[in-house]
Amino acid sequence: MEGRIIVVTSGKGGVGKTTATASIGAALALEGKRVAVIDMDIGLRNLDVVLGLENRIVFNIVDVVNGRCNLRQAAIRDRRIENLFLVPASQSDNKDVLTTAGVDRAAKQLRKEFDYVIMDSPAGIERGFENSVTAADEAIVVCTPDVSSIRDADRVIGLLYSRSITPRLVVNRIIPEMVAKGDMLSHEDVMEVLSIDLAGLVPMDEQVVIATNTGMPLVLQNDSKAGQAFRRIARRLNGEPDLPVEVPSVKGGMWNRFTQKLGLK
Amino acid sequence: MLNTLIRKLSGHEPSKVTAKKRLQFALVCDKLEVNDETLNCLQNDIVEVISKYFEIDQTSLELKVKRDDDTSALVFNTPILCVRRRSRV
Ligand SMILES: Nc1ncnc2c1ncn2[C@@H]1O[C@H](COP(=O)(O)OP(=O)(O)OP(=O)(O)O)[C@@H](O)[C@H]1O
Ligand SMILES: [Mg+2]
Repeated sequence: MEGRIIVVTSGKGGVGKTTATASIGAALALEGKRVAVIDMDIGLRNLDVVLGLENRIVFNIVDVVNGRCNLRQAAIRDRRIENLFLVPASQSDNKDVLTTAGVDRAAKQLRKEFDYVIMDSPAGIERGFENSVTAADEAIVVCTPDVSSIRDADRVIGLLYSRSITPRLVVNRIIPEMVAKGDMLSHEDVMEVLSIDLAGLVPMDEQVVIATNTGMPLVLQNDSKAGQAFRRIARRLNGEPDLPVEVPSVKGGMWNRFTQKLGLK
Repeated sequence: MLNTLIRKLSGHEPSKVTAKKRLQFALVCDKLEVNDETLNCLQNDIVEVISKYFEIDQTSLELKVKRDDDTSALVFNTPILCVRRRSRV
């Protein structure tokens, strides 16, 4: 069976695309699937450091597309998570070295080798975005609960629809305390504004910073709320679409929850 | 918590309500924006159709999107030089 290609994109930069790609990819591999995560942010590669694989780069996606090496030579196998592979970006080129035709060709081969191929798109809606979505079967749009990120998400959702892709949304960096106070848009607000289905909700979590510091995949951090959220997103993608979405909540006892219900917190 | 209570009682709306309203407005406006290329293509098409019926002054055409607070309209202005008499088919 052919693998599925999923693009992770956002329009706005810095909202958590790379974090989401690394975590969902790792989580799918933990579910037993063969997964390749592809860094499409040519010239500004980061997926390698987020996954702690920066020391093992030999070839990159540009080499694969341009036929300088084959896919197996470029795909770095993760030694901690079985069946997880990274194809890094090239750091010396810019986004114009790739063409959609080239990416489509490489995608054919990727589909044959892997169950899931996750494309980490760069910010923006230009060439790099085009290259990331050209071969995609599905899309995940990442946003944070702030006005500019949601507006950019809306633009990207429109562009995906025009390619007949119905994306699903990940709202990242949710701060439950602020949502409870009415100072941060809730996921219901975001869904209503964007009229889009959810892939999942991810809280703001210190563990994300720690995981990135150490290069240890977030989903291996058992006490990480964000890590758990990404694992649930992966399960939802992988044959459990009805797994309930967990809403990040304010920790604490009865009183906290009570005042939160009343909207007083 | 006390602050939130005071805010509730005093009728101040939470900032997210403002955020949501602003967003909804911005998204509607964004979708009404037309780029020059589209407008040019549209103008060419309109001229082609109108020219079947009227002789128009192609140098003083005007096609624009006129926007008020809550409506958006496409305005096409052209002086007519004469009506083309067409033989019926
Ligand atoms: N849930 C979270 N909690 C805390 N920090 C987070 C969370 N998600 C992302 N971050 C942090 O936000 C920053 C940006 O994340 P990331 O690099 O994944 O975004 P990006 O969308 O890939 O950015 P770019 O557009 O530059 O590629 C990083 O420092 C990351 O550690
Ligand atoms: Mg990134």
